[in-house]
This record gives sequence, structure tokens and C-alpha cells, in this order.
Amino acid sequence: MKKKVSIRKVLSLGLALAMLTGLLSGCGKEEKEKNTFTFATWAAGTELEEFQAIINKVNEAAGGEYKIEVLSIPSDYYVKISTKIAAKNCPDFFWMTQELISKYAQMGALANITEQFQGSENLTPDMYYEGVVASSMYDGSYWGLPWIANPLIVYYNKDMFDELGIACPGPQDDWTWEEFLDVCRKFSGQEYRGNTVYGTVVDGWPNIETFIWAGGGDIIAEDGQTILLSNPEAQKGMGYLQTIVAENLSPRYAEVASLGDNNVWFEKQRVAMYFGGMQDNFENKIAAMGEDEQFQIGYAPMPMCDDGGAWSFDWTASTVMAKSLEGNELAYKALEAVTQAFFEWKIAPPVKDSLENVLEIAPQKAAAMETIGYTMEYARSANYIPEWSDINDKLWYNLYVSLLNDANFDYKAKMNEIQQYSEGLVSKRQ
Amino acid sequence: MGQARLVLWYVVVCLGAVIMLLPFAWMISTSFKAENEIFTVPIRWLPSRITLQNYAKALEVVPIFKCMLNTLIIALPKILGEVLVSALVAFGFARFEFKGRNTMFMIMLATMMLPYEVTMIPTFMVWSGLGFSDSYVPLVLPAFCGSASFIFFLRMYFETVPKDYEEAAWIDGARNMTVFRTVFLPLAKPALVTICLWSFMGTWNDLLGQLIYIDSQEKYTIQLALASFSSMTGETLWGPLMAASFMALIPVIALLLYAQKYFMEGVKMGGIKG
Amino acid sequence: MRQKRQRAGFYFVLPWLIGLCLFTALPMVAAVYISMTDWDIVGNAKFVGLENYITLFKAEEFVKSLWVTVRYAVIAVPLIIATSLTIAVLVSKNHKGTGVFRVIYYMPAIVSGVAVAIVFKWILDPSYGLLNGILAFFHIQGPDWLYDPDWVLPSYLIMAVWGAGGSLLTYLAALKDIPEDLYGAAMIDGANTLQKVRFITVPLMTPIIFYNLVLGIIGAFRKFTDAYVLGGAGKEGNFYMVYLYEEAFGHYRMGYATALAWVLFVIILLLTFIVNWTKKYWVYSE
Repeated sequence: MKKKVSIRKVLSLGLALAMLTGLLSGCGKEEKEKNTFTFATWAAGTELEEFQAIINKVNEAAGGEYKIEVLSIPSDYYVKISTKIAAKNCPDFFWMTQELISKYAQMGALANITEQFQGSENLTPDMYYEGVVASSMYDGSYWGLPWIANPLIVYYNKDMFDELGIACPGPQDDWTWEEFLDVCRKFSGQEYRGNTVYGTVVDGWPNIETFIWAGGGDIIAEDGQTILLSNPEAQKGMGYLQTIVAENLSPRYAEVASLGDNNVWFEKQRVAMYFGGMQDNFENKIAAMGEDEQFQIGYAPMPMCDDGGAWSFDWTASTVMAKSLEGNELAYKALEAVTQAFFEWKIAPPVKDSLENVLEIAPQKAAAMETIGYTMEYARSANYIPEWSDINDKLWYNLYVSLLNDANFDYKAKMNEIQQYSEGLVSKRQ
Repeated sequence: MGQARLVLWYVVVCLGAVIMLLPFAWMISTSFKAENEIFTVPIRWLPSRITLQNYAKALEVVPIFKCMLNTLIIALPKILGEVLVSALVAFGFARFEFKGRNTMFMIMLATMMLPYEVTMIPTFMVWSGLGFSDSYVPLVLPAFCGSASFIFFLRMYFETVPKDYEEAAWIDGARNMTVFRTVFLPLAKPALVTICLWSFMGTWNDLLGQLIYIDSQEKYTIQLALASFSSMTGETLWGPLMAASFMALIPVIALLLYAQKYFMEGVKMGGIKG
Repeated sequence: MRQKRQRAGFYFVLPWLIGLCLFTALPMVAAVYISMTDWDIVGNAKFVGLENYITLFKAEEFVKSLWVTVRYAVIAVPLIIATSLTIAVLVSKNHKGTGVFRVIYYMPAIVSGVAVAIVFKWILDPSYGLLNGILAFFHIQGPDWLYDPDWVLPSYLIMAVWGAGGSLLTYLAALKDIPEDLYGAAMIDGANTLQKVRFITVPLMTPIIFYNLVLGIIGAFRKFTDAYVLGGAGKEGNFYMVYLYEEAFGHYRMGYATALAWVLFVIILLLTFIVNWTKKYWVYSE
């Protein structure tokens, strides 16, 4: 009998504990005045060491006014970030890529920093390249400070161009997409160093934004509501992609992966031109190759789109702040200081008048400087909205991949269909 | 067995072994390659020149040995808890007919069927609410309540033990715990060694659980260390990653080699006094 | 006396019961609630009743991913059991070096899914992969594997067979329990190897086969890591759990994903019940 009682005790204790924990987890933590901030980053390994060094420098310069602590998340970054936010354990600062900012802002996880950003003495929106700072904007407000910009440029194999007698594009060439396709056509069926070569490689990269912009169109209008996929400009842009597939200006889709990633096609001298981010380190990779495998790289800006801009898709990320810190002056000061420190770390810094930083950070890019300077003016993102992950799924699986597999695919009808689907999603937004 | 059949056996087993080992061979060979030899077309199976630079780099990027030690700190108590408690519970399920036994057993099986991905966040919220952040406790403590799949395995193992083994002991007046300790635990030795290994490898290879609960780098485990070789804005260090993966594999293989003899070591069935 | 003894079993399972209440029950109850909400993880949950379940049964992707998973499970589960049983019988013999072979065959199970996936990406590569290289040696033009919708499933089956050694230990532990004298008796009766396997080994192994069948079903329906890393053409690599994970952490629809999880739970549970019901017809017990 005695034993039975003890079991019941244990059980009820267990239940009580379980209930208590349930209650506890429901309550948020008390907010107190603090001057220590946690900074979550996806940087890991070597990159993390560099990151830590920057943070140390910022902490030192702050002289005890505030202190930033590093939280590295080496894998499944957003899984851990969202889990932490759900458990009311949100990091104070964290990195966020452009396409998620609107989503997290809408979910109420981010601090609105518009006032502080615009009123700052050190770093204001107009100091940024226009297209880059727009990536941290949603619903008329700023939600983070961009710290890196990595827009696309055209890397080309100068030796291949010369040997096959094809004229190279200039470093600030104002070539159009039609002209770009013409250059590609000149490589069709050509042999170079014992291989059949292609003008370029397209396998889902560059992303769909690039092609939709090419015709002068866009995916989502600036109001964050209107979907533009059924506009003739957007569809004309996809037509350029259709041409690449139909005329075999790129290796076949299933074939691309056979060399590993698509950039290997460029490194192994199988394609003449490659759309790569400024950060792509072809220079050092090629320098590390055997002498007979090396070649000279040339640089050109993205082809000019039909609306006259040489728009370049910019992979960019911002540092955002937890909602609980909205309006916190000290936190913003720390955020600003650390963002400015990042400008001397990665290429390209997203602010104007910092081009010389690129040479400091990556001296191997010296020959690309003209193109980089030109391209930064055209660096941009799409107007990502909270529904983007769903729209992008459709654009990728139902449009891009279908077109890559079949040049006769009726992409215009599909774009109209995705237009309607996306409008349906947006109309459900509260 | 005839000579011919023995040779046939070796041929078949070796062939299978080669297939099993191929990916490992590629991993190990890659870990000794210079950077420009890793992604070549066609695949280069052997490095043209063996280099140790990947190992040096790997050790420089993350403190691999410390991370292994950290993993052991989690793994050892976990093994102890999971194996001992699972054996006790399995014994209860296998050899007694108490009220609600089958229902409870089905509930236990059912707990294995709900994907961890959807209970992960509520579980994390509970631990976080209890104040356990950046701690090994949430990873270790539940082990002391047994593990459903181990209990399932051991129950099946205990069920096949003939009834007269324990009846004899009970007639002698032995208590349940004594029967468990003296009859069932020794009988289940190969099975216990097996789940020790499973438990260890579960901890050694767990990424998501450790990623969610561990924050500070001093507490990093081996999987978190391995994850550190690639990131969104940095380049993936393939060579060092393969070197680190290989280093992480060595303790597991050593353990396996050591433990394998127990899988087949039988307890003489007739050795138990009836 | 006897009854009291039987009741003692309860005390033995008590630790598990405590664990259930403390660590498992609460999140599971929470998951029931979550599945009836619209929850984006980061913000607040909104109660929507059974809406997620209704949406789910109408979703094209739900049907497709379930179909991919079921097809895989139907072939992979028996295939894995047969392969690993064969391997176990092979390496249970005590020849010189068997110990090393046991370890080798078990090795695929000791590396994490991500590492396996990366290596198989190279093995299954259409143009330069190892497998098509071997096929080319026999003058066979290999398929595009993961890049051809029709070959995605076979690709995953190859990976599954390669990893079949994972349940080797369970079979080995059981194999050693088969009394030697049974084989001896069979030998005297003039049974050949196949007959010995058919009439002695397999029947005595049925409890462990049962165990691996249940775990195999759970594992096949919850297949995730390599499929998540590798994908597959025409969304043929979009297994149920990959779909669930994408919904939860790619689209931040945790409520919907949890509903998906409960549907999966019910499917696996039903299958387990069925398998459990057949147990009495084929599983050997004392």
C-alpha cells in the first residue's frame, strides 16, 4: 500500500511540474535595461573568426557603453532563429537575407528602425546605393541595415574570346540582352581546347528576377500588392530565357550538374560567359590551378534591360533588430557601429563612396573595379513581400524548371496562371 | 565447409564490402587531396600528391578534439540512462501482465511516430521556460526515462527468453530485481551492447537537437563543428570538411571494432541453473 | 502472490511513464492544439479549428508527396529487410576477418544522412558518376538518375539498399541466439543451406524481423535527410517529410505542418496496428 501512495505522489508531482513549465513558457521574460546584446550570425569556422574580430573591435571602441556577444548558428539558421523567437528568446541582432525581411516584419519579429535610420548622423539611407537599401524596406519602413551587396556581373573567358576571334564586351559596355544573345550564338558549335563550348550557362541560375527584369518588367510592383507577371515586359524578359534554351546557348539542364555546380563550367573553360556575384572568387581559384588550365578573366556589366537599366540582381543581407528593442537608442547605436565595421569586411560594401574598400578587402578584383563601380548603381532586389516563398516556389518549379526542360513550354500562359495565384495570396493578406 | 565454398564466401563478402566502403574511400581520399584536385572531371579517386594541409586547416578552423570531448560528455550519461532504464522498462513490458500493459505499450510505440520537427519547438519552449538555455541538460535528462525504440527492441528480446528461466529463480524466492539482474541482463548482453552503440551514435550524429539547444562555441559538439565548415556567405571548405569528417569517424569505427565481438558472443544458455 | 508479482511490472515501466508525462505528453498535446491553429512560429497562433486538415486533403502536393513516400515504402521496406538479413547471415559465420566485415557492412549506418547524400550525388551523377561509369564499362547507357523523374525512385532505393546494414546489429544479436544444435540436427536430416535458412533461421528470426518491419515502416514514412539534400526531378524526390519541413520552416506554416504530422502519425499508427495484428500468424514466440 505504501508504495502506491508514493507513485501517486510522483505522478502528481510530475503533472504539476509539467503544468508549471507550460505556464512558465507562456510568459515572456522581463525586459530590463541592458547594455549587452546578442548577435546571431550564420558565419561559422574561419568566417566566424573574422566576424568575432570585428565584434571585438566594435566592443573596444564602445568603451564599455555596450557589449555585443556572438551567437553562431552553423546550420539550419532560420530554424533556430524562429525557434528562439517562438520561445521569447530572440537574439538582439541577427542577419537576415533580403527575401525574408518582409515576412519577419509582417510576423512582428523585427524592430522598425526607420526613424533612427533616417535621423542618424553616421549612416543614413541616402548613403546607401538606392537599390540595395530598398531591400530592407517593407510597407514604407526600414527593418534592417544592409551590410553586404553582391550583385551580378558577367565574368568572361578572355582567352576563349580572343582565340575564337570574338570581340569582348567592354568593362562598362552598354550591351543589350539581344546583343548578349548574339555573342552567345557566336560560340555555338565552337570547339575550344578539345571541348564543345557554349556562350553561357543557365540552370536556374541566374535567378528568375534577372530574366523578368531583362524585358523591362518586374514581379511585384513597389506598392507590394500589384503582381506584374502578366505584363508584356515581364513576359518578354522570359522570352530571352526561352531563346537561350531553344537555341542551346547553354548546356542542357541535366547536363549542367554533371560538372558539380554551374560555375565549374566557367572554371573548366566550357562556357565563355558566366553570371557571377562580385564576391565569386574566380581570380584566386584560377591562380591556384595548373599553368595549362589558367586563363585570363574579363569583366562586363549585366546586359542592359529593355527599360534602359543594366539591372543586376543583388544578393544582399541586412542586420535586423529584435522587436523588443524597437526605439532603444543604445541598441541602435551598437547596430549602426557594427554595420559600419562590416563595410570593411566583405565585398561589396553597400554604401556609396566606399569603392576603395573593395581593393583593400579583395586586391585580386583590381581589374574588375570599373565594372564593379558601374554595376553598383544598378544593383537591386525584387520587391519581396511576405507571400514571396509561395510565389517563388511556383516561379521556380512550374515556370523556370519547366522552361529549362522544354523550350516549347507555354511560359506565357504559366506566368498568367501564377499571376492569378499570387493575386489570390496577396488578397488574403491582413 | 568446403574450400570452394569458403572462397566463394570471401568473394561475395569482399565485393559487398567494397561497395559499402566506396563512399568512405572517396571521403578519405578527398581529405588528402590538394584543393584543386577535389572537384575534377572525371572524378579522381586518388590524390596525385598526398597532402596533410586539409587536416591542419580543419584543426585550425574548429577545435575538433574539444568538440569530441563535449559530445562524450553528453553521450556517456545518455548511454547509461537510456540503456539501463530501457532495459528495466522492457523487462516490465515483456515479463509481467499488469493492467494497461498493452495500451501503454502501444502509446509508447505511438510516441515514435510523430515527427520530431513539430514537437521540437514546444519542447524547446518548455526547457527554455525552465531556464535551461545553452545547456546539455535538455539533451541528457530525458534519456533517464528510457528510449521508446530501445524499449521496443529489448522487450522483443526478453520475450523470447523461455519462461522456465525466471520461474526457476522465482521459486527460489528471488526478488524481481534479482531476476532481472542475474537472469535477464546477462542474457541480453549482445542486445545491450547493440543499444549502447545506437545510443552513442545517436548522440554522435545528432545535429538538429544539439543545434537548437547549444549556443556557445565552448559547448560545441562534433556535428556542430562539422557544420561550421560551410556557410551562406563563406566558401565551403570541402577538403578540411572531409578531413574533419574522417577524424570524427575514427572513434566510432574504433568503438565498433571493439564492440563487434560482443554481438556474437553468446551466453551459454545451459549455463543458468534451473 | 502471482498477481502481486504481475503488478510489479508496473513499477518497472514507471520511469518511462514519468518521462512520457514530463517530456513527451506536453509537446504532443501542444502539437494537437498547434495543428488547429494558423501559426507562423514567430508570431501568435490563431485558432482555426479543423481548417488545416481540410486544406491538407485538398492540396495537390499532399497527395503527390504521400504517393512518392508510399511507393518508396512499399518497395524499400521489404528490400531493406531482405538485404540486411542476407548480410547478417553472411557475416554471422566465424571465418577469419568476419569481425572486420561486420564493421564494414555496418559502417553506412554510422555516418550522418547529409554526408551520405553528398557522396551519392557524385555516385549517381548522370555524366561522370561512378555508377554510370560502371554501366558504361558494360556498354550500358546509364539513366540520368535524380534528373529523370522516372529514375528518382530507383535512385533512392539504391541509397536505401546501401544503408541496409543499419539493422545488421539487431539480426546478429538474434542470430547468435539460435541454438547450434538445431543446425546440427538439420545437418543430420540432410538439409542444405537454403533449407536451413528457410526452416530454422527465418522462423527463429521472425521477432526481430517484426521489429525491423515496424521500425522500417516508421523510417520509410519519415524519410527526410538525403531527400532534403538531393531532391529529385519532377518533385519525385519530394517525400512527405520534405514537404512537411518546407511548409514548417520554408513557408512558416507551422500549424499546417503539424496537421500534416498528425496525418502521418495516423497513417503509421494504422499500418503498425495492421502489422501487429498479423503478428500472431507469422511471428515465432515461446
